[in-house]
Amino acid sequence: MQVSVETTSQIERRITVQVPAAEVDEAVATRLQDTAKRVRLNGFRQGKIPMAVVRQRYGKDVRNEVVSELMRQHYVRAITEQSLNPAGYPSIEPKVDQTGKDLEFVATLEVYPEIELSGIDGTTVERPQAEITDADIDTMIETLRGQRAEFQPVERAAEEGDKVKIDFQGFLGDEPFEGGAAEGHELELGSNRFIPGFEEQLVGAKAGDEKSINVTFPDDYQAEHLAGQEATFKVAVHEVSAKALPEVDADFIKEFGVEDGDADKFRAEVRNNMEREVRQAAQNRVKQQALDALQKANDVTVPQSLIQQETDGLKRQAAQQFGLGEDFDVSQLPNELFADQARTRVKVGLLLAEVIKQHELDASDDEIRARAEELATQYQQPEQVVDQYMQNDELKGQIKSAVLEDKAVDKLLEQAQVNDVSMSYEQVLQAAQQSEEAAEEDEAEESDSKA
Amino acid sequence: MNQERVYKVLLGPHMTEKAALAAENNQYVFKVAQDATKPEIKKAVEALFGKKVAGVSVLNVKGKTKRTRFGTGLRKGYRKAYVTLAAGETLEDFSGAE
Repeated sequence: MQVSVETTSQIERRITVQVPAAEVDEAVATRLQDTAKRVRLNGFRQGKIPMAVVRQRYGKDVRNEVVSELMRQHYVRAITEQSLNPAGYPSIEPKVDQTGKDLEFVATLEVYPEIELSGIDGTTVERPQAEITDADIDTMIETLRGQRAEFQPVERAAEEGDKVKIDFQGFLGDEPFEGGAAEGHELELGSNRFIPGFEEQLVGAKAGDEKSINVTFPDDYQAEHLAGQEATFKVAVHEVSAKALPEVDADFIKEFGVEDGDADKFRAEVRNNMEREVRQAAQNRVKQQALDALQKANDVTVPQSLIQQETDGLKRQAAQQFGLGEDFDVSQLPNELFADQARTRVKVGLLLAEVIKQHELDASDDEIRARAEELATQYQQPEQVVDQYMQNDELKGQIKSAVLEDKAVDKLLEQAQVNDVSMSYEQVLQAAQQSEEAAEEDEAEESDSKA
Repeated sequence: MNQERVYKVLLGPHMTEKAALAAENNQYVFKVAQDATKPEIKKAVEALFGKKVAGVSVLNVKGKTKRTRFGTGLRKGYRKAYVTLAAGETLEDFSGAE
């Protein structure tokens, strides 16, 4: 086997490999003998097919098969011999593929870039901190009440925010049009689900009222024959219901898992949750800033094939989020949407791996167990979940890399200057939301570096 | 013999263990039309494959009788020709004939 390596760019390598004709022929012959024993042909007993007939009938297919297998084998041997570290999959092209001649093929692959890590010395990182005040808790409880609100029928004119139950029929001039009628439709005023103007004109209507409403369809309305048209709706109002906020009483509290309905305990619980949120938000924010700084400090050529893999992963995720189903063909999604995100993620992943290597970080079983316990608190039977995590190598690996990543971030933060910035509860969460996408990114990053 | 007839004489190659053995003796086996004669077959092979033919033997293969619950039936038979090529001529790609 002859191998020659060309360096076509910083991370791209092209290797040309020659395999002697004799080796190929031998492999083909062995394969043909197997085939002769295995296949059934009309007019022949099984295993009694003359070699000449087998060669004539299966020769080409077998050769193709053998050649592509040989190319793969020799590719692997070649990269081990040349000690190349390929990223992603190579593209392999046969150059000479003829019976009686040496097989020659070219494999183009990308290698992992050599990273010279520059630290993030001197960067400042903001760590948001928030004191949770009683007022914050009150607001939170208000929000919770809003979420549990129910609509109760009332005997008064409808106001913004109320829900009305209506029949309606739409007319263009005098003609009723298709899709413009419904009965018993429930509409929340101010939700802007209808054409602009429709909901506003219902404000002030009472149960039992009949109204006619004039509206103009917006020019960009999705039904083309209606866009820009003026229409009249005849509306009959059946019921007006108003949002009723539940009282903060024992029942309400029980719904949130405080069994004895004690208000103080409830407040403490809410405070706990909020504090946890703030802690997480702050952590994410700091981590994000550290990773951003790291990424800026280092310029790395990222292998295209890794980006492609990452992009495919992102696409599948996106498809799942949109509920497109398992058999949705992800290649329909445009690459460009995800390319940038994918590039960043790959880059951060590579850099973090380098940080881990440089500082010789490792996670002990105890640390992994601790992390698993943390995760398991969300489940019904934490001990079982922890055991499961610890026994399954794959899951354990996932947790390990998460732990490693956090350690790497900690190492990075040692180099940086961390300033505490105090903010209100809302500000912290808002800041977290801004970096939320980024945070999601490195969660996925964790799953990559495991692989 | 006209061109049209040439294409109608040979029905296809007959590949069996026996035919594979015969091929080593420069004999190639064809299924041929029921009414084909030896000279016709000779001319057809010479025209289609461009090879010199030394001799042709033909035989009729009778269809098997098959018994079903509706009584006995007869499968279709066919006419088979062993075509011996002149010394030195071979048919390389035999399986793909008409």
